[in-house]
Amino acid sequence: MKMQPAMRYAEIKTSTTGYWSLLIGLALIALIGFAAAHHMDVEGHHITGMSNQVVWGLPHVFAIFLIVAASGALNLASLASVFGKQVYKPLARFSAILAIALLVGGLAILLLDLGRPERLIVAMTHYNFKSIFAWNIILYTGFIVIVMAYLWLMMERRMHRWSKPAGLVAFVWRLILTTGTGSIFGFLVAREAYDSALLAPMFIVMSFAFGLAMFILLLILSFRLDQRELDASQLQRLRKLLGIFTAGVFYFVVVFHLTKLYGAQNHDFERFILAEGGIYTLLFWLVQIGLGNLLPLVLIYAPRLQGSSSTLVIASMLVILGAFAQLYIIIIGGQAFPLNIFPGYVVESSFFDGVIGEYSPSLWEFLLGFGGVTSAILIALLAIRVLPIMPEGLPAETQ
Amino acid sequence: MATELDNIELRPARRQFLKGAAALATTLIAPGVMLYKTAQASTADQQLRWGLLIDTNALSEADVDACVNACQREHGWKAEENSPTSAQWIRKVKLTDAESGHQRFLPMMCQHCADPPCVDVCPTGASFKRADGIVLVNKHTCIGCRYCMMACPYKARSFIHENLKDQLPVAPRGKGTVESCTLCVHRVDRDGANAVPACAEAVNQGGRKAILFGDLNDPQSEISQRLRELGAVKLRADMGLNPGVRYQGL
Amino acid sequence: MRTNPSLLRLLALITLIGVSAPGLMVAADAGASSFGQVAIPSPGKPADAANCVEPVAVMRRDHMKYLLHQRDETVLDGERAKKYSLVGCIDCHNPAKADEEIVRYEDPQHFCASCHNYTSVKIDCFECHADRGLSSSQQSNLTLQADKLQLSMQTFRQKLDRARGD
Repeated sequence: MKMQPAMRYAEIKTSTTGYWSLLIGLALIALIGFAAAHHMDVEGHHITGMSNQVVWGLPHVFAIFLIVAASGALNLASLASVFGKQVYKPLARFSAILAIALLVGGLAILLLDLGRPERLIVAMTHYNFKSIFAWNIILYTGFIVIVMAYLWLMMERRMHRWSKPAGLVAFVWRLILTTGTGSIFGFLVAREAYDSALLAPMFIVMSFAFGLAMFILLLILSFRLDQRELDASQLQRLRKLLGIFTAGVFYFVVVFHLTKLYGAQNHDFERFILAEGGIYTLLFWLVQIGLGNLLPLVLIYAPRLQGSSSTLVIASMLVILGAFAQLYIIIIGGQAFPLNIFPGYVVESSFFDGVIGEYSPSLWEFLLGFGGVTSAILIALLAIRVLPIMPEGLPAETQ
Repeated sequence: MATELDNIELRPARRQFLKGAAALATTLIAPGVMLYKTAQASTADQQLRWGLLIDTNALSEADVDACVNACQREHGWKAEENSPTSAQWIRKVKLTDAESGHQRFLPMMCQHCADPPCVDVCPTGASFKRADGIVLVNKHTCIGCRYCMMACPYKARSFIHENLKDQLPVAPRGKGTVESCTLCVHRVDRDGANAVPACAEAVNQGGRKAILFGDLNDPQSEISQRLRELGAVKLRADMGLNPGVRYQGL
Repeated sequence: MRTNPSLLRLLALITLIGVSAPGLMVAADAGASSFGQVAIPSPGKPADAANCVEPVAVMRRDHMKYLLHQRDETVLDGERAKKYSLVGCIDCHNPAKADEEIVRYEDPQHFCASCHNYTSVKIDCFECHADRGLSSSQQSNLTLQADKLQLSMQTFRQKLDRARGD
């Protein structure tokens, strides 16, 4: 067995103006996001676009994206620890810290959007264990603790042999977590857009794709910040993974809609999403399918573009764009479609029965969402500065 | 390499401190984690199940308007016209048969299901069903996540989107929590089987009982007798929720 | 083993901000108000003071415990006991008055606000609960607007058509 030279990790040391401006910029956006949340808390949700028809809005799109991406970002560490793919081991620490950072950002948005965020203590001490939401609170906070432990075990050289079982625990936990996140919607029998067992595995595959896309972007950024070597051959492997995961998401979307189309009772809903839903239809075909699934697949697999890291970056950005569109359609489109309480009747009321729910996001929701994303990125960038997370270099493969 | 490990060994105090801190933190948090509440009430009578029987054949549009007004007067909420964030504990629904064009009006409120999805999904157990069948929101524990609103098949719940000032003593309601029809629980607790919810009071003039309140589990109650005689439908019956509000004429 | 200097610097920065922030906030506040000169509260005695639910000293210490316990019994079990009910407290300590004399929780003379402002213990009861007793006419005045607003558009149009003349 050939002995590999031990991988060396080091904190990033860059101190350029560019680096500090980036951090300060991120911190400012995060602060503005928290101020927006405070304003929402003081004034009440009437300043947002959310209403009694569309009760979850843009903040939830951002939050669920971050949470799903967080569980997916842990993939590379799992590939190394659980599946024994040693070639991903240098990236395992960064994978873990990114998972923690993204989850913290997503959880922050979710908690700050609550009608009574000061009752967080109530949420953490009163549990209705029949509620998947309650389980998710435990799963999210447990994820942070478990991945922190996993990261420490990876970093503490004498504890290294425990990193494999810890990696397995983290891997299983994050599968349960993502299943729980998908089930938030999948368990809702009342709405035609949800009520499907397919949502849980679909969210798992979405987490693979979204998490990897975020991972690729932040990996390249982190290496560039400190001008460390990141050879294109390393990225080729990630490129292939992103291609497989994006294709997987596309598969699940196709199966989901085809299944719904087979039931006549779902035709109104499918017509809404696929043809007559205005913004939702546009987002579905143009952004989710076109820009988020098909174009990235072209960019990733086109023979002439292999080895180009810039097309990988663009593909990752497109996957993320498609992710937001997909979650917007699931979360908001699913609520906008009216409940079918009186089949066979045309319904009218003062409570917007029988009509498509209107929703247009307000500035506060955008600010809160961006605040969460920048908090997550900021946590990751600060962590790699104070802890030896980043490998000193990833040169071209020697074997 | 050897020196690094040696330095680690020379810091037992730090390790002890960390162990102690972790143990202390766990001891402090553990009792809190045990404080979860189940979603069932305990002391109210187990045999009762309050319900409503609504005869839509006997309700004109003006009657249903009167119901909605009465609920607002009783509880101090206001239905703002065309406002997507306005509360609506009870609403007038106009049904037009898609084929025949026949029209009818009915009042729609929380259906007080026996198997409420809103209770299943509430993370804190704030949405709960009392032993007598009334489904309520415990606004002391509600964190305002609105998940129950997503889960309700009847769109019965409203979220309060702004600061409120003029609440009535019988109906505490405030920003950031979720609310819905309480079956006039303050009247029920006071009058029991003789209670008349505000909506029923508004339309039951002159001896007719277009909206009948009573104990569904008592075979001798007026509501049970009427159900036996004339039958009624449950909305979205296929979902198996067994609502306590039944409709005649649909 | 040397601790990471970046980590040390970060911790120092956080400590500096954490220590100086309260001081800066106090300094900012001092200019605006009469800092340090809050009057000792003297909430008025209600008319029926002899029949208070518990002795004054007990109430001062434990009124929150009674309220917290009672609210669970009321909401979860439907027990609307007059003794510890919040409505009962308000009926005695801030009973119904003429419109001009009504005291709301925002006023410093409100029975609950007088002590809670002094002790700086923020309560959120009155975000939901009525903070004053109301006579039945005052109650119906509050809710009268509901009738005015409830005309459905259809009924309104019908009335308009009829008024325009058949």
